[in-house]
Amino acid sequence: MPRTVEFTDTEFMIAQAARLLEDGKSIFVGWGIPQIVAILAQKLYVPNVIQLFEFGAIGPQSVLPFVRGTMGGPQNTFRSLQWLNMNWAFSYSAAGYMDYGMLGALQVDPYGNINSTYLGGTFENPERRFAGSGGGNQVASHCWRTIIVIKHEGRRFVPKVEFITSPGYLSGPGAREAAGLPRNTGPYRVVTSRALFGFDERTKEMTLLSVLRGFSVEEVTRDMAFRPLIAETVTEIHPPTEDELRLLRDEIDPSRIIIRGEKMTAIA
Amino acid sequence: MSRIRKEGKVEYRFEHPDEFREFVRDRKSRNPTDKLCSAKEAVSRFVGDGDYIVYDFSSLTRGPQSLIREVIRQKKRDLWIGAEFTLHESALLTGAGCASRIDVGFLGYGNYIGQAVCEGRVKVYEWTNGGLASRILAGARGVSFLPTRDLLGTDNLAVSAAKVIEDPYTRQPVCLVPALNPDVAFIHVHQADVRGDARIFGTNLFALEAAMASHRVIVSAEEIVSPDEFRKDPMRTTIPYFLVDAVVHAPFGAYPGAMPARYEIDLEHVDRLNAIRNDERMQEYLEENIYGVADHEEFLDKRVGAAKMKELRSRATIIEGYR
Repeated sequence: MPRTVEFTDTEFMIAQAARLLEDGKSIFVGWGIPQIVAILAQKLYVPNVIQLFEFGAIGPQSVLPFVRGTMGGPQNTFRSLQWLNMNWAFSYSAAGYMDYGMLGALQVDPYGNINSTYLGGTFENPERRFAGSGGGNQVASHCWRTIIVIKHEGRRFVPKVEFITSPGYLSGPGAREAAGLPRNTGPYRVVTSRALFGFDERTKEMTLLSVLRGFSVEEVTRDMAFRPLIAETVTEIHPPTEDELRLLRDEIDPSRIIIRGEKMTAIA
Repeated sequence: MSRIRKEGKVEYRFEHPDEFREFVRDRKSRNPTDKLCSAKEAVSRFVGDGDYIVYDFSSLTRGPQSLIREVIRQKKRDLWIGAEFTLHESALLTGAGCASRIDVGFLGYGNYIGQAVCEGRVKVYEWTNGGLASRILAGARGVSFLPTRDLLGTDNLAVSAAKVIEDPYTRQPVCLVPALNPDVAFIHVHQADVRGDARIFGTNLFALEAAMASHRVIVSAEEIVSPDEFRKDPMRTTIPYFLVDAVVHAPFGAYPGAMPARYEIDLEHVDRLNAIRNDERMQEYLEENIYGVADHEEFLDKRVGAAKMKELRSRATIIEGYR
């Protein structure tokens, strides 16, 4: 019996990102949505993943429900393996210990370069100013595979970002290595509230891999300001499962401050 | 030899390591003395107009908020802030006309501060969190720079003063960030003695590095303990006394942020800060909470209240790992 499931675009984005992590690997977790992704993944799919935060928490097991504004507080440094500081946290990523990094972004381009600094105008005289790198630059520079989590809004996908805050493949194949970044690193997946993208092995361009059940390729690409490559076979992503939604709504974010968003439905 | 391939051209704070060493030799005393004083005295003695200030940790967790408020109360001017997780204090310092430059970091909670940057009321330079932490580590190590493998390939390079050279060992490009030796570091801690020995429980950004790298260090502490406590448990000393210039007893010094295992964040007050979107609201906030009270004690008494403090204390239920 087909069943319709209701969820928000944010819940879907978090759930599909959580499914990407591998057990027994490490993940450098950025501020915001990535924190929720890591918690959900560890609870449901990857119990042996080790989370690392730039403020020096190595392997914490966050207390639920997730409390906003607690980065570095007892809730999200609870039951860590080690408490250190920022220079040591970035040493773990710089020395190659971090398999995955996960970051949000304001804007992203076909090479997975991230802008989180400003929109419009110039750096000196921006039209809108945002938080900037934080530790995002280090995460995207050092981790073996960077996962970008971003709402599926066309204006966020641009041919060229206004400011490269955190490095993707820069101008294309070989550019990271030429710039001096650690070799064989770079963006791995772009997780959105509609679809999943990877990067072409040869050209390093963003490639549509999968779409949320019920969406067509045309529907997810038409608003994007650049045309991504399309995988030979675009697969379908199932909507959030009952377990994913239950954990998100009942245990992780019962006040629904983070998981709220545009309402969606799909066939479970 | 070290041909510079790329470099940012913005202004940056820098001091020759030998000058800093001489300052440490001549002006930082290794003689243990009683440094306990009021925030008012500490800030008026050790913070000057035009100073470069760093602090540890953030607006929401163990930040030196009572010291920041005192800086605003004393109307310090033309400050340059090195800010990792600057959420509210950069907005407050800018709104109060105290800060003119901010090295970030993470320029958080956009409404007010984002607008101030767009209007050119404060200059921002992009070092990133890792870059700033490396600069302070270099300052603490007595070297003029440290190499890093980030910032590379990005636009942050041009709006910092990082330089890219050829690494003499790998022959590949490597990024160099200059040492930072701030004028003042503010560090809020769980426990300190009157000489300045200090303990932080939980993680930190660069508390020891910042204390070592800075010309003057003001420690504010939730609790004052005896010097003997540190000798009984030396693994837990975060900062030894000879780095510290002043000790301020400041219960609830991180308010409205949290102090791990002591009290929780006051989200209601934080939401009021987040809601400040224009200068009128900013000045109202400053008047009510900073200019309109004589000091931190009066602020706690009149603006926070004993019942609220009791509630925030009772919500700090996670104590495992903190002693």
